[in-house]
Formats: sequence, C-alpha cells, structure tokens
Amino acid sequence: MSTLAQIEVERRGGTVVAGLSGEVDMTNSARVREQLLAAVPNDVLALVVDLEGCRYLDSAAIEVVFDLARRLGRRRQELRLVVPDSSPLGRVLVLTDVNSVAPVHATLESALAQ
Amino acid sequence: MAELGQRALAGVGLDELIAEAASCAARELGTDFASVVELTGDGRGLIVRAGYGLPEGVVGGVLSTRREELPGYALDHEGPVIVDDFATETRFAASPMQRDLGVVSALVVQIRASGRQFGGIGVHSRSAQQFSGEDAHFLQALANVIGAAAERVRHEEAMRDSEARFRELADTTPALMWMTDPEGDVTFVNEGWLRFTGRELSEDVGDTFGMSAHPEDRDDLLMRWRDAFARRTEFRFEYRLMHRSGDYRWVLEVGLPRFAGGEFVGYVGTATDIHERKQMEDALRRSEASFRDLTDTAPVMIWTTDEHGMVTFVNAGWLAYTGRTLEEELGPSWTLGVHPEDAPTVVAEFQRVLERRDVWDREFRQRAKSGEYRWIAERGVPRFEDGRFVGYVGTAIDIHERKLMEGRLREVYEREHTIAETLQRSLLPERLPRIEGLEIAARYLPAGRGAAVGGDWYDALERPDGRVALVVGDVVGHGLRAAAIMGQLRNAFRAYGLAEDSPAEVMAKVNRLVMSGEEDAMATVLYLVLDRESGEVRFASAGHPPPLVLAADGVHFLEGGRSVPIGAIDLGVFREASATLGRDASLLLYTDGLVERRDEPLEQRLEALADAADRAEGGLEGLCDAVLAGVIGESSPSDDVALLAVRPRPVASESIRFTLPAEPESLQGLRRRLARFLHAAGADEAERYEITLTVCEAAGNAIEHAYGPGDATFDVEASFDADELVATVSDRGHWRERRGAHRGRGLTIIEGLMDEVEVSTEPGGTVVRMRRRLGSTRAA
Repeated sequence: MSTLAQIEVERRGGTVVAGLSGEVDMTNSARVREQLLAAVPNDVLALVVDLEGCRYLDSAAIEVVFDLARRLGRRRQELRLVVPDSSPLGRVLVLTDVNSVAPVHATLESALAQ
Repeated sequence: MAELGQRALAGVGLDELIAEAASCAARELGTDFASVVELTGDGRGLIVRAGYGLPEGVVGGVLSTRREELPGYALDHEGPVIVDDFATETRFAASPMQRDLGVVSALVVQIRASGRQFGGIGVHSRSAQQFSGEDAHFLQALANVIGAAAERVRHEEAMRDSEARFRELADTTPALMWMTDPEGDVTFVNEGWLRFTGRELSEDVGDTFGMSAHPEDRDDLLMRWRDAFARRTEFRFEYRLMHRSGDYRWVLEVGLPRFAGGEFVGYVGTATDIHERKQMEDALRRSEASFRDLTDTAPVMIWTTDEHGMVTFVNAGWLAYTGRTLEEELGPSWTLGVHPEDAPTVVAEFQRVLERRDVWDREFRQRAKSGEYRWIAERGVPRFEDGRFVGYVGTAIDIHERKLMEGRLREVYEREHTIAETLQRSLLPERLPRIEGLEIAARYLPAGRGAAVGGDWYDALERPDGRVALVVGDVVGHGLRAAAIMGQLRNAFRAYGLAEDSPAEVMAKVNRLVMSGEEDAMATVLYLVLDRESGEVRFASAGHPPPLVLAADGVHFLEGGRSVPIGAIDLGVFREASATLGRDASLLLYTDGLVERRDEPLEQRLEALADAADRAEGGLEGLCDAVLAGVIGESSPSDDVALLAVRPRPVASESIRFTLPAEPESLQGLRRRLARFLHAAGADEAERYEITLTVCEAAGNAIEHAYGPGDATFDVEASFDADELVATVSDRGHWRERRGAHRGRGLTIIEGLMDEVEVSTEPGGTVVRMRRRLGSTRAA
C-alpha cells in the first residue's frame, strides 16, 4: 500500500487543480503520472499541479512533469505548477529547467489567474 | 485503498465497490487484468462479479470451483496463491478464462465475509511478473474491504428484515406498541395502540409523547422519559392513558433504545393494559368483598395464596390461560406449568419473598393452554387481616410479545457490536511499524460485552525530516459509524502528518477537513512529534488527556498545548507546546477509556495511572501491562482503551554507514535515515531535501545497474568534515548515466546541488563521492 503520495483533484471551471502531497520517487512516479493524466478530461484547458504539500521529488518525478507537459501539449492543454517560496523543491526545479515546459507559480491564485 | 475502505463503510453499493476494487488492484499492482469472483448460492460455481481489462462477456460468467484450477484452489487455500508462471505451475491449472487471455502470472487471495467464504480477488498478467509479499498483503487488504462491505450489506438486509418483521409482529399483537426516531418524536404506533386510543395514525405520530396521559401523571411520565432518553436506558413507567371511551386506563409502558449501524435510532416501546390489576390491588385494599365480585369478570389472571404460600384461589382468566382445572391449580401447585429452566429460581425466590412478606414481582415462562411456554409477569402483594399476614393476592399478565421483541433487539445489537469490533480492528495497524531508533509497544482493549465499540486508535509514522509522529485519538460515539470516522481521521493524520511540521497546523488542517465533511464527527486527539536524537517533543492536544513521561527522576504529565476537540468549532484555534525528554525517558500516550470513570474524579485516576507507571518494570511491554493492571484491573473496561508507549534510542550522529539491497524500495528508508542524520546535524529543510535527493539519485544509478535482481547491494556512507557533509555511494557495477528520456537529468541534479562530485570506476565497482557545505545556501 502506497501512502507515499496523495493526490486530491478538484475541478475549477476550465481548470483541473491537483493537489499533490507527500513524496514522489522512482517507486511511485508511474502511478502518479497515471493518476494525474486520468484526472484531466479532454474538455479542460489546463492542469494545475499544486506542490505545496509535496516534500520530495526525484529525477523520475521531474521526468513525469516533462512527460505530462508533452502529453497535455498535444491535446492543446496547459500544465502549470504551484510551488510556494518556502518549498524545499525550488532550487531543483530551477536546475532542471522545469519552467521551460510548465510555468511555476508561487501561489494557487496566481496559477489560476493566468 | 483507504478511501475504498471508507466507502465500504459509508454505504456505497457493493457492485460499485467491487468494480473499484478490481481496477484499484490492477492499477496498483501493474497487471493487465483483475477479477473478483463470488461463490454462487449453491456453492458450486464462482460468478465473476467484476473485472478490469477483461473482454466483454467475462463478467457475469461462472467459473468452476474444481480444485484442479486456480480459482477453486484459491478458494480452499488460506493465504495468498502466487503463480510465477503457469507453464511451470504444478499445483493446479489456469482457469479457461485465464487460458483464453494468455495469462502467465497471477496472484489470488480469498475474500471472507462474516467468517464465511465469499469468493476471491485476483490479478493476472500476460507477461511474467513476480508478486511480492507486499503485493499479496495489499491485495488481501482489498479483499478485506470487500468482505467488510459484503458484511455490511448482509447486516443491513438483516436489519431491514427485522424491522419489517417487527412491524408485522407489532400489528398482529394485541399489545400497544410505538417507535420513536432519535429525536424522540413518535414515528409509528401499531394497530393495537390505535384501537386503544381510538385515534388516527396521523394524530399519534410526531411530537406526541405523553400527550394522551392523564394530566396528573403527565409530568412524571415526561420527566422519566426524558431522563431515560438522555441516557439511552430502558424506560419503565405506570400511568393512566386516555382510552377511546374517554376514560383513563392504567398501562405499564416499557421502552428500549434501538441501535442500527452502531447509531442510536430511537426507542421502541410497548404499553400493557394493567388497569384491572391496578383496580384489583386498589379494591383489595378497600375490601375483600368487592375483590371477590371483580375477580371473575376481569380479563387478567388473578390468584391468591395462604400464609404458607399454598394457592387458595385462581380466577377464570387464569384457568382459561393455562387450560387447567381449579382442582389442579389449588394447593402446592407453584411449579405447575412453570418452564423447567425457570422453575428452580422462581420457587426459591418466592420462598424468600414469602418469608419476608415482600412484594412479589417476577417475569418467567408459563405453559399456556396451547402447550407453548409464554412469558408472563406476575405481581403479588401481601395481605394482612387485623395485622396478621394471611397470604398473597396476585395478578399475572401475558408479556410474551414484548419479551420476544426485547430478545430480538438484543440479538441485533450484539451482532452489530461484533461487526463494529471487527471493522475497528481491521483499521488499526496490524503490527506497529518498525521505526529505527524507536522502541514501541501498544495495547488495544475493547470495552466489555454489552457496550458498543468506540472509535479509539493509535498510530506511529516516520516523517520525511526524520522525526516521528505519534497519534492517539478517540472518536466521540460508538459502533460502526465511530469506527468509520476513526479510519478517516487516521488517514487524515497520516497525510497531514507527513506534510506539515507543526502539530497545531496538523490539527487545524484535520479540523478543517472534518468541518467541511458531511458527517458530524468529533474526536479528542493527541498528536506529538518526537525528535529521537535531541529528545525534543512538540505536541498538540485536542481535548485529550495529557501524555505521561517516564524519566529517570520519576514520572510527570506533559501539560500545555491544549485546545478544543477536533470537529467542535469551525475555526478552531489549536495550540502546541514543546518539551525535551531526558535520556532514556519513555512516553506513554493513552485514550480516555483508561482514566475516565463516572464514579471517580479524573485527577484521582491520573494519579493512579502515574503510580502504576512509576512502579512498572520490564521495558515498554511491562509498562503497558502494569498500567492496564493497575488502572483497569481485572474487569473489562467500560469504554475502549488504546495505549501507545515509545522510547527513543538515539544513535551516534557523527557518521552513518549502511548496506542496502539494490532495489527501488530501499530508497524510502535511505531517505528517512539520511534525513534523521542531517536533522541531527542541524541541516534545514531545503538542505535535507537537496542532500537526500542527491544521494538517492546516485543510489538510483546503483540500483539500475545492479547485476541481477535481488542479490545485489550498495553501500552508503555519510559523515561530516567540520561543517562539510561528505557522502559516498558505492556499488559493484559500472557507472552509467540512466537510460530513457530523462537521461542527464539525474546528473544535472547531482552536480547542481553538491559542491563537489567525483565519480571513480574502481576494480570492484563504481564509487560516487560528494561534498556539500551546510549553511551555504543560507549564506548566499
């Protein structure tokens, strides 16, 4: 049983907000990718993944972000991330240039405002 | 999984739940197919109830229960059945369904409901797959959820049946019956009641309790009723009820609380016409003569005895009831017709009452004319002539229907209790998690028989920063509903406990979650985070009794950090407090049931607890036993009790070194140990994350390039060179950057986050050495 990561999905108008909390590593990244993809129906414009409650992402998890952006892009859907300034993840996301495929916002409000 | 468990309890349809369980199994275990089968009514076939990935037409089909094929084999086999490859399987063959699908590997476990076979759940793969014990454990957990849901459905059907049977019974019995809802409003009165009062159903339903009572009796009646209602206890009262004729007649009303799904759902009651009996007693008091006139025309049963207890008279009503003659009834006929099981005690008791000239009041079984034993209630009062005792005069009424109903209600209630207890146990951690550097012991003591199970729980988990979170809680209420809420809260504390550092914040988040839910849930909780190295604890108490510290210099309670219970106030403000445990100190967390008792003040009970703990010997297990023995004693507790005792065992923090199996599953444990080490060294959250990530990325390479599955290992070492962390990951393979689309990303991370990285290929394998100065990001 995996209690490593939890995903809570909520639809807000044309956007799906997925709160991803816990930890994502190479043991559960495939599952997380599947669950996030399954959360996005064809008729929404964007997926916002809120990483406020997320404490650990490894390279496999970051790969999931790139892959998600690519798949959603094919469907003309956008991927945005929410990473508060206080999050420990910030530096790693900058290093791996995640911003080039999925804009990173400091708050959910700003991610939804776009 | 946890969510599925909640839904199983919350009343989601069984079909829907089974379908969800099948897809959850396939998804989580990564298989092509999953199926859930149920034993058919005749036990000869297995019907496919739901599937995942199965072609059309398979669901609804029936499989054989032959032991020579996997489904039948698994049905008989306790514990999981794992098939690595059907080609080499000798115990049984694949089912036709599995053959058609080209299944290679499979994992099947039993589903049991109410202790009986229900069927099985299985996952099937087209490619060879090795299922682990963990996989089997997961599947069994799903099977248990289905089993619990099936039990609930059966239970609900039984409840519906018993409710329907009750109404049927109620309308055919001459007795007067009523039911109320949990607010006390009357929801049902039977035909007998309407015949008696001469009113319409609509007039008697609603907030009508006591409306038709005699004005002189009404206040007493309502007071007694409210009192019993508030305490959910049996209600018994004699009063005058308005008859259709306009006169008042004496009735004895008896009400019993009803429960469904562990929840109080109202009262069911009967009123028995005791008017004649009352009149008899009055008449007797007035004069013997009028008594004689009345007796033979009265529909109740009446009898008299002499001073030795010999029967001197029974009326026509009694003879009609027993079908015997007056001659048979007179004299030492006391045991005549009394049920053999009741006779000895009835006779002995009557002798005792007779000697003391007490009032005789007893319910027992008496053979009726039809030969059937029926419950009757007898009441007799001593008669005196000129101050001399001359014998008893008594009445008897038939209370058979009421007795049967009481028995049935008790049965329903007890079955309910068993289910709730099973569910609650299934939600508690089967065994406590093994947490390095922490001794743990726990006890769970269910309340005694007759009481409903409560919603107590305990939990322990290791946080990503290396600290340990401990939870002990008690959901207000009892039975199935409390058990379900307990499961939800346990999961909420697990999720928020991992993500939030501050105990007060964890409480606030769980409170918000509970307040936004549909259910009215309330719980007292103690949530505590412990640093094993420094002994620092931070804790928040939501209306929960304080934890106990056992230190070298004695015992004391951890006071402070108190707030209202979870679920009490919308915007509850939660406080937290901190303390530092001395070396070798232990902590004891517990629930209300241990210290709360109606007849003793809480302070006294807490003192008893501290005394018992202070005297305890034999480590944590001995502590738990001593506390239970000293505070609860031999008797079973009136409420559930949960106990959790822990003792941190600090480790050396200058350096760590360990060898781990080259499997992805090793990474989580590695992260925890590194985080603990770094936390002890004063690293902040970002540093802990970045360093554990880098070490794990290097370890990830070692895992990917291990020679064979299972037998390879890798080594990790970490130490400090002044304020500089030095970490080494070495394996026995060749360094290669990982394959796949994320090629290069791992290395980018390693190089970007460490001050220095050096990869060297040595004869025995590859060694990655990394250095990073703490505080550099903060300074920068």
